Amino acid sequence: MSFGGTALRPELVSQDGNAMVLSMGPQHPSTHGVLQIMLEIEGESILKAEAEIGYLHTGIEKTCENLFWSQAQTAIERMDYLAPSSNALCYALAVEKLLGVTDDIPERATQIRVMGAELTRIASHCVWLGTHGIDLGALSVFFYCFDLRENILDLQEAVGGARMHPNHFRVGGVQADLPEGYIERLDSLIEKFPGRMRDLRTLLQANPILQDRLIDVGILTPEEAVQWSLTGPSLRASGIAYDVRKAFPYCGYENYRFDVPTRDDGDSYARFLVRLDEMEESMRIVEQVRKELKPGPVMIDDTKIAPPPKETIALSMEALIHHFKIMTEGFRVPPGDVYQAVEGPRGELGYYIVSDGGNRPYRVRTRPPSLYNLQALKCMAPHNLIADLVVMIGSLDPVFGEVDR
Amino acid sequence: MGLACCAIEMMSVTSAEYDIARLGSEVFRASPRQADLMIVSGRVAQKMAPVIKRLYDQMADPKWVISMGACASSGGMFDNYAIVQGVDTIVPVDVYVPGCPPTPDGLLYAVNLIQQQIREGGRGGLLARA
Amino acid sequence: MPSTQTPSITGPAIDPPSVRPPIDDAAIERLEPARLHARLAELKAAGYTMLLDLGAVDYPKRAPRFDVVYHLLKLPLRKASVAELATPQRLRILCGVSADGPKLPTVTDLWSCADWAEREVFDLFGVVFEGHPDLRRIQMPNDWEGHPLRKDYPLRGPARERSPRPAFALKSNVQAGTPPSGRTLQALQEQIRRAQSERRP
Repeated sequence: MSFGGTALRPELVSQDGNAMVLSMGPQHPSTHGVLQIMLEIEGESILKAEAEIGYLHTGIEKTCENLFWSQAQTAIERMDYLAPSSNALCYALAVEKLLGVTDDIPERATQIRVMGAELTRIASHCVWLGTHGIDLGALSVFFYCFDLRENILDLQEAVGGARMHPNHFRVGGVQADLPEGYIERLDSLIEKFPGRMRDLRTLLQANPILQDRLIDVGILTPEEAVQWSLTGPSLRASGIAYDVRKAFPYCGYENYRFDVPTRDDGDSYARFLVRLDEMEESMRIVEQVRKELKPGPVMIDDTKIAPPPKETIALSMEALIHHFKIMTEGFRVPPGDVYQAVEGPRGELGYYIVSDGGNRPYRVRTRPPSLYNLQALKCMAPHNLIADLVVMIGSLDPVFGEVDR
Repeated sequence: MGLACCAIEMMSVTSAEYDIARLGSEVFRASPRQADLMIVSGRVAQKMAPVIKRLYDQMADPKWVISMGACASSGGMFDNYAIVQGVDTIVPVDVYVPGCPPTPDGLLYAVNLIQQQIREGGRGGLLARA
Repeated sequence: MPSTQTPSITGPAIDPPSVRPPIDDAAIERLEPARLHARLAELKAAGYTMLLDLGAVDYPKRAPRFDVVYHLLKLPLRKASVAELATPQRLRILCGVSADGPKLPTVTDLWSCADWAEREVFDLFGVVFEGHPDLRRIQMPNDWEGHPLRKDYPLRGPARERSPRPAFALKSNVQAGTPPSGRTLQALQEQIRRAQSERRP
């Protein structure tokens, strides 16, 4: 069954029944991770493409049911490993909703969260662009993109301790304040960014080879995109400007001025342009946050949820007991269920979290944008060449930690 | 063998900042038939385990294996039904790189250790650590 | 001691969705399995064009054991700007499925994206979707036995649960399974007393 399908070049499919079944993956340089696509091909053209996932199934959701609320966040960061802070942000917001403390999060914490989320979006798009370029043969783009990503990873390391998976956003705020020298490094990144984007656009945007490979490949009409539950840049490239930051604002996004880039064509080139524009919009938000950053606490005041500051532990018995209880037993979240969505780099990342009132999550169901984005391959791939399939996978930008969890 | 988060750090190792090419490991082959070294970077799921074994078998001798990251070395933080608790239960490993994910420096040191092992002619096994 | 070894302090709620605090994240509707497909078709015709997510939750102590949760979103099927979309409506459908012979009608005829999501619910919970074109395991290998995300399935898997933990994890003066507060002090005092009695003669 193929819903619609884009029969662009039906003349490529020969009619004499020479179909071959080829397994592309799970180990393949162009599948962006562990994806197996069972292809029914005739020569170079695809008749049918069935994707097989599950090669990275980690049981993260079951692991979270056995960890404390604050510990589960470390497992959750490993889902979308290209933009770990966005997973952490969504989880923290969801648990805060269940706790009822969404209004008590300090403003500085919210601003740091926004900054971190946008920087991690830019980092994720850097990986996307670099790997997409490699798939197409533009090898130097990879180095430009990863150099930009190194700056962002430096910032994440400075603030969270690790380059990837900084584990910085916690339930109740942010784990630690921005260290000394962070703002200077951020300023130098903000200064470097426009030049680097100009370089990338010069290399790619008007490049005739890229345009030949990307234009009119993998067209998705708005109906198809909604039917296959695409979200994020893939949906916005088909014309529907659905962005969770604008539709269901969180973390004060309604106060920042940014546009939601949209295109009408729905092909891979449109998705490519949308993501490039998104990188620039994200940097716009980072600049605004940088200007408006207010001093203040970065963690909620409630010592039942957040451990008290380390200095007070040696002085106050109360602080010591709270710290001990939080570290050994964790905090409890009132019973209920909640769905919280954020705009991840791939689309609407949602968490449906159920709490039974205990100190561990009862169920953490992720709404992984890449799972739904990837299903559209079934509809996009037929009547295209294998080379086009590589372009389509790259333009959908899946990350398998999220798809398989 | 780029599986999960460690694969991204493996890609960073090839980038300009860490540059594994200066150690001679510039070319990452897509095919196991042409490779000498398999870097298992990332968590090994139950479904992926036979694939890794098959890829290791397809490599021509002499071959070495780096187990990159906590998940590949021991199952890491995922002590559950879905993750193979250490890729050394499937293939023999020469160098283990701890970290979640290890910094690219760690992987560079691991490649250095492999080169040392090759020079000295022995195999590392459980004794080699990055 | 890793928290996967300490017993969890389970909460009191047996049916959390029925006792949720007033969080305004979506309109919520609970349906019976018999009514599910017809109602979802009505909702799709009424404008809920996107099935955002299809997941399941296991409540073993509750009468219909599984809850299959559908998240719907109202989006136009044509080009739309941010201003036109404003705040689309969200809807959450919860459908209780009983434990013996859990099955539900498929919604792949309404939304194609339900394909993999239903396969995942089948794989991890065991809920069969009648009418699904290709219902087989998706995350676990094809010959896997058991449904991992059910609450009675052990975290480490049935085979590994039977095998002993490595020796270094067993070395502790607190028995595995003991709550963190309480016995540590007792065990420490016991050790001190033993050491003192050994030193005396």
